Amino acid sequence: MEKALREKARELLTTGEANVIIGYEWNRRKTRATPAFITKADEVDRLIFNPLCVNNLSIYLTRKNKDILRMGKPAIVAKGCDIKNIVVLISEGQVKREDVVIIGMSCNGVVYKQGLWKGELRPEIMPVKCHNCDVRNPHLTDFVIGDHIDFTPPETPRGMVFDKIAALDAKTPGERWSFWLEEFSRCIKCYACRQACSLCYCERCITEKNVPQWIETSAHQRGNIAWNLVRAMHLAGRCTFCGECERSCPANIKLNLVNQKLVLTVKDAFDFKSGYDEKIHPPMIVFSPDDTENFIK
Amino acid sequence: MKAMYLKKAELGKLISSVQDSGALFVGPVVDAGNVVYKEIGSASELTGDYIIPVTTYKQWVFPQTEVVATFAVTKEGVDLDGVDLDPPDVVVFGARACEAASLASLRSVFTWGEDDEFYTRREDRITVITVGCTAIDDECFCTTVELSPASTTGSDIYLRETTDDEYMAVAVTKKGEAFIKAHHGVFHQKRAAEPELVELKLPEPIKGIKKEKISAWLARTDNYQSELWPRLTRKCFGCGACTFSCPTCHCFDITDEGTAFGGERRKNWDACQFDHFTAHASGHNPRDTQFKRWRNRFMCKFKYYPDKFKTTGCVGCGRCIRVCPVRLDITEVMEEISQISE
Repeated sequence: MEKALREKARELLTTGEANVIIGYEWNRRKTRATPAFITKADEVDRLIFNPLCVNNLSIYLTRKNKDILRMGKPAIVAKGCDIKNIVVLISEGQVKREDVVIIGMSCNGVVYKQGLWKGELRPEIMPVKCHNCDVRNPHLTDFVIGDHIDFTPPETPRGMVFDKIAALDAKTPGERWSFWLEEFSRCIKCYACRQACSLCYCERCITEKNVPQWIETSAHQRGNIAWNLVRAMHLAGRCTFCGECERSCPANIKLNLVNQKLVLTVKDAFDFKSGYDEKIHPPMIVFSPDDTENFIK
Repeated sequence: MKAMYLKKAELGKLISSVQDSGALFVGPVVDAGNVVYKEIGSASELTGDYIIPVTTYKQWVFPQTEVVATFAVTKEGVDLDGVDLDPPDVVVFGARACEAASLASLRSVFTWGEDDEFYTRREDRITVITVGCTAIDDECFCTTVELSPASTTGSDIYLRETTDDEYMAVAVTKKGEAFIKAHHGVFHQKRAAEPELVELKLPEPIKGIKKEKISAWLARTDNYQSELWPRLTRKCFGCGACTFSCPTCHCFDITDEGTAFGGERRKNWDACQFDHFTAHASGHNPRDTQFKRWRNRFMCKFKYYPDKFKTTGCVGCGRCIRVCPVRLDITEVMEEISQISE
């Protein structure tokens, strides 16, 4: 698979179809996969692909990373779950389909966190998204690397995240509030959740608007709740449950619960799941004159 | 002062004794899957199974958020009130030698020119009890930055584990001596034979890294524009996980919170990795792309700090490597600079 990936990368760079390959490479000790930017055909052998390739590289397509945009036309190595974010970026007018080459990777799953890797991909070290994955054969691509994968996700998505959501739903609002107060109390306002998220592409986040200060930047209870709730709301109907925010959180806040709950809610209310069709706009950003609600008219 | 001994089983007694004296006892605990420093009530909360806590204890000398003034808006104008800062005594137990070395670095910043009493008053009242490392991981690199698990810099008391489930305690500072005296009921002198110490684990110094070569390379101003910076660091996506988990990072922001009638002025941690950190009111931003921000963090640790304060900016705790979501490893940059430096 890596051989095919490298060959494709070499071809794209040689023909000039892409100026930079955004992919993965080993760290110095070869213990962790890390994002790589390959611009020369003779460097394509640095590219790797394996279950440690957890990062959703689509962040590097956003306007938050201007120096990367300046490198020229990108070809991005993307798993199905990463492609979901590219789909949303396209549907929201952030990336033009023709401006990015998508090298889709057939994927049998990745690890939840790289530190869990002991040389073998066991189900218990995979994130919930992988167990329910319906894009192991990537869906919006220019090229696909890897063999077709026979995998049917369960009819009803399941796993720890869904169990915890069900458990939370069964609680009283007061109990849920205490649960989230406790979770968010660990927030250190490092904004790794936002920076890891390709759908948090605002160049100036609302937390940085301080005249007036809409969201208190202090990592106290008020500020932490305001921040986490605002981010959740801004991702409603858009989040694809790639899990990068939770993976990046140094305080282990259970952000996947927030995000999957939003996914479920939007599915329920609008029969919409983001990340599948770049021609359909997410429900929160469209206006229809036929809308049954009249508050906006 | 001779080495004293403390039975692990009697840590509870030490905690009670510290609490009876009115001080807070802070130690490593497991919280949501991470080992972090927390104020604890009893010994059962402590964990001994950690390399180094994910969070730093700098939050007890430099809180993540603190009120530095309050204000009230009245018909006559604005009333501004200072804060009477009388911090509690804090005992940090289970620190590591690398992190302990960081307090001197923080102090040099916060006493540069004016004393920042929000810092100094707290630091004056903190007692650091370090436990020598008997386990390490791939990210530890203290020995590469001229420290080691045996370093006592910044510790008030240095503990070594013994094979018979005790700690051998050596007072490093006057504060440490006073602490042992104040809690003498818990410490005891060893009888008869010398105890056997559990061997310290030292990370192998990274061979390719030469600190003096890094200094020499950074001193050449044309290297500020080196192609190395974007090449090695453009994957950084600009969160503050590294700076907020770094024991020597010290930047803060001042912000006002409240209503039209009054509120508080707060001092909050800030990170040079944030894109608006150096944004000017004019709209100009001298560090307009991420690699420039990352370069700043590196320069701060390996040039600005040593130049200005003659103290270390990086203690090799490895936290920034462990928490980095894109696995940008500072030692890889150190190594590459060492190699290209003449």
